[in-house]
Amino acid sequence: MTSHAATLGSTARRPEPGLGIYDKKVGMWVFLCSEVMFFAGLIGSYIILRFGASDTWPMPGEVLNVPITAVNTFVLICSSVTMVKAFASAEAGDLRAMRLYLLATAIIGASFVGVQLYEYRELIHHGFLPSSGLYGATFFTMTGFHGLHVSLGVICMSWVTVKAFRGGYTQEDHEGVEVIGLYWHFVDLVWIILFTIVYLI
Amino acid sequence: MSEREHAGDAPEAVAVAATGHARPRYMVIWGALAVLTAIEVGVAFLGLGRSTTILALLGLAIWKALLVAWYFMHLKYESNVLRIVAAAPLIPAAILILLVLLEY
Amino acid sequence: MATIVAEATGTPVLADEHEMPFIRKYVFSTDHKVIGIQFLFMSLFFLLVGGFLSVLVRYQLGWPGRAIPGGEALPEAMAPGGIMLPEFYNSLVTMHGTFMVFFAIMPLLVGVYANYLIPLQIGAHDMAFPKLNMASFWISVPAGILMMASFAVEGGAAGAGWTSYAPLSARPDLSGVSVGQQMWIVSLVVLGLGSLLGAVNYITTIINNRAPGMSWFRLPLVTWALFITAILILLAMPVLSAAMIMLLFDQTLGTNFFLPSQGGQPLLWQHLFWFFGHPEVYILILPAMGFVSEIISNGSRKPIFGYHSMVFAIIAIAFLGFIVWGHHMFQSGMNPALGMSFMIATLVIAVPSAIKVFNWMGTLWEGNIQFHTPMLFAVGFVMLFVIGGLSGVYMASTPVDIFIHDTYFIVAHIHYVLFGGSLFAIFGAIYYWFPKMFGRMINDTAGKIHFFATFILFNLTFFPMHGLGMKGMMRRIYDPAQYEHLSDIQDTNTMMSIAAIALFGTGLYFLVLFFWSLFKGKKAPANPWNATTLEWQTPSPPKHGNWKEVPVVYHGPYEYSHPDMDRDWLAQNERPDIVSPAHPGRTGAAPDSTEDGAE
Repeated sequence: MTSHAATLGSTARRPEPGLGIYDKKVGMWVFLCSEVMFFAGLIGSYIILRFGASDTWPMPGEVLNVPITAVNTFVLICSSVTMVKAFASAEAGDLRAMRLYLLATAIIGASFVGVQLYEYRELIHHGFLPSSGLYGATFFTMTGFHGLHVSLGVICMSWVTVKAFRGGYTQEDHEGVEVIGLYWHFVDLVWIILFTIVYLI
Repeated sequence: MSEREHAGDAPEAVAVAATGHARPRYMVIWGALAVLTAIEVGVAFLGLGRSTTILALLGLAIWKALLVAWYFMHLKYESNVLRIVAAAPLIPAAILILLVLLEY
Repeated sequence: MATIVAEATGTPVLADEHEMPFIRKYVFSTDHKVIGIQFLFMSLFFLLVGGFLSVLVRYQLGWPGRAIPGGEALPEAMAPGGIMLPEFYNSLVTMHGTFMVFFAIMPLLVGVYANYLIPLQIGAHDMAFPKLNMASFWISVPAGILMMASFAVEGGAAGAGWTSYAPLSARPDLSGVSVGQQMWIVSLVVLGLGSLLGAVNYITTIINNRAPGMSWFRLPLVTWALFITAILILLAMPVLSAAMIMLLFDQTLGTNFFLPSQGGQPLLWQHLFWFFGHPEVYILILPAMGFVSEIISNGSRKPIFGYHSMVFAIIAIAFLGFIVWGHHMFQSGMNPALGMSFMIATLVIAVPSAIKVFNWMGTLWEGNIQFHTPMLFAVGFVMLFVIGGLSGVYMASTPVDIFIHDTYFIVAHIHYVLFGGSLFAIFGAIYYWFPKMFGRMINDTAGKIHFFATFILFNLTFFPMHGLGMKGMMRRIYDPAQYEHLSDIQDTNTMMSIAAIALFGTGLYFLVLFFWSLFKGKKAPANPWNATTLEWQTPSPPKHGNWKEVPVVYHGPYEYSHPDMDRDWLAQNERPDIVSPAHPGRTGAAPDSTEDGAE
């Protein structure tokens, strides 16, 4: 056990008999498990409600603006790439690139939220509201909660970015970057599912 | 740091710790995700049969989601225990959705 | 070995705790022990509130239509002239259930003991995320205040039952409650977030921060139970939050998730609620089973019988708990094939539950039994849990359930498992760990009086409910006397109400005893019960940081009456060859080879 612990270096503060992964990362994964269940509740309800009312459900593109959202999906994917690049840069010791990538992630994430708000405004302007039948209710609830998650992510990301610019992360210790990254990718992953089932199916 | 040297010796080795693994080519994954998204939008409006479209779209979405989890969230490089932790909630989630669906 | 200890000491021990300001030490503390004690005071308060609400409920049932003594002080909308209105009765029933389940029993089991015991029992300095831990308590407090405040708003507190079935809960014009119901939802969503943060913390701590030598199968059963409970919270609570939020939108944003008039599905609420609700049942009983295992092993001076089977029974119960929620909905008109599968899965749960009961009896068998107060409560738990478990088997089978569904039979069942089960175990746990938490003992004779009074009055209150249910008395009925077939049960109801009020009196007696012991109790030694788990190997109460040096664990948690030992217990961090050198039975044994002390 001791030799194993030695190879883990600074990440293994408590080698015995844990996972050999630092607490924050385990905690984030455990938290993401509960997030999976939260979205499973929302998505499951959506599927069931839709099954019950499939004849009145609008076809893709009838109400929602698919091209804009497709671009927005691409934007969110880009932010995931910059995020993972930030982590890779931190690992490689290129702290300047890490900071810039983090900043880019926060900005791209914020613009995703901005586009979503624009989309909401347009929809509401055209009279499509949460009270517009099950379609409106499920649409606004699911995308709204995803948007809330992205917004929280942007806030945390800004905090991490500020910390990075102040020299809070090093090549040896960048736990915060990895942990926020996990959350960020998860939110991206949820959007990939939501985009497909809400906009395209 | 020792784990970095270790990774340097064997770039393909799956390390237990998160750090020090051989990094995938993120830009390739990025391209794949972008292309898959474009294909999705195409499939949705191609006018294939309804069930074909749904199955194709779900397949594409799951593929994309797996790409994100596997490469961006580094599950490829994690220990099996963490993979189990990551996959565990899918079981109750599937139970919830499938059993409730049985009713309708 | 020394290097491991050094590496494991990641968190520095805060020896200078006396210099911390009061507010950091007792209010916004990050010490898991202080947070556990904060949860204890909070949940005892809500236990009192919930108990008081039940006294009001029983008053109405015992003496229907009679003015409550002092009830004139209540507003017209609740009880004009002191006579309670049916709407107010609905609120009382709802809030009694809500307070007891979410604000009393659940935080008592998880908030208090998961916080207090996990780091001590696994030999950690603190939780993995102490600040998150503090946040989880301070998120729960406003949730409780909000729930309390809902009594004061227009329309009163939520009145749709603690299960809040839609559409009754979704349309204010049906239940007559709008703001109260919304506050109920917001409060529980907030509380759910707090529990979730707690669960993340417990799971991470147990996975990652165990002391050297503390392998999975050397964990005390309390920690095992709390670990599995945390997983249940983690996976079930978010589904409730999602459902609650949809319900809130139905109320406020004009959506119609659960309103059939516009295509919504009322049954969807029931599915989502019980997908959470049934794991919740096990959230409320598994830690209690853990306490009882601990106390019974200690009180019998024997290793727990079948340690491994206990662990696997906990895991099996938890897993099965996710596929049985439909048994709450046999009467909802669900697909009969689905009902059948839910029924079979539910009956299967009786197997691991019975394994646990037989293991407790196996532990007691030929033990050197010490009937101290915690032990009495633990044995009381086993007796009452068996009754509650058996009545559960009745209701699990669809044909029987159709007859007794939503009658007082279910009320009897839930109280046998939640009061006779969880709360008895909690009382046992409070008596058992009080010396560790506060450094003082609770007088044993006074505790025994509490036990016998509670035990007798509990059965007088709740046992007759089985019969009333069979006779057809409905679950949330305001005045049973309005039905002809229930006209002859009034005497029974009155007797039960007298017993219930006396039972509330025993609760007050306990509170007095608790606070008296807090200040005047006899000073407690570090290990008053001669127990083996790690928390007893520190001073009472332990210092911030728990250990100067992380203990090294050599064997399982229940080494009582070890044959090679002079005394009848061996702590987890002690080696027999060092403690009893005169008995060389295990001299030189490597730490790992003594693992299976449980058998």
